[in-house]
Amino acid sequence: MLILQRKEGESLLIGDEIEVTVLAVEAGRARLAIQAPRSVTILRSELKVAAQTNREAADEEVSPLELLGVLRERKRDE
Amino acid sequence: MRLSTKYFGEIDCPEEEKLCFSEGLFGFEEEKEFFLLPFEGGEGSLLCFQSAATPQLAFVAMNPFSLMPDYAPVLTPGELKAMEVERSEELCFYALCVVRNPVGESTVNLRCPVAVNDRTGRAMQVILGEGGYHMHHLLSDFGRKEEATC
Repeated sequence: MLILQRKEGESLLIGDEIEVTVLAVEAGRARLAIQAPRSVTILRSELKVAAQTNREAADEEVSPLELLGVLRERKRDE
Repeated sequence: MRLSTKYFGEIDCPEEEKLCFSEGLFGFEEEKEFFLLPFEGGEGSLLCFQSAATPQLAFVAMNPFSLMPDYAPVLTPGELKAMEVERSEELCFYALCVVRNPVGESTVNLRCPVAVNDRTGRAMQVILGEGGYHMHHLLSDFGRKEEATC
């Protein structure tokens, strides 16, 4: 993995067509500007994981009614 | 309206209880309308989001506050505006659940709750940036944590 340091206002190129510019770094957050062809999909990484988690949620392995047992157990513990 | 559901067969659902997800759910962007249906015996803590368009699509959901009483989801100003409220506290929140076999290995997604505006029927799934919540909290961990603090 390539690791680079960039200051505010500096940029980097990925291939010939994608340019990432650091606009600002404040309070632990980097604000980025990305110039890329329309055909390139740009997603926050967590969005992909969120979609995958939803797909898992849509495809349950046992009846959700079995969760009632887990919930009741918790209640008893309290 | 008459609705074919994944878990409850054919049921009647009042049209006005339909929830509108203008952006769908992550990975299910084309699914814009759901009904929130409770499982009998769940005392309001175990429900599902049933797609209005796709009978076989339903997401099991839990009341996150019953799992974690100090759960504090905070939406961004843009998300609050889309939900037509001023404060996150005006919304209801539900956490989607991945039901595993064995059931004790099931997980809940506290990082991406579904926020619902009860007043307008608007709903959206968000990704929380703050709070340190994860997408796969083991359901069986919640009981244990509480025991540890007792």
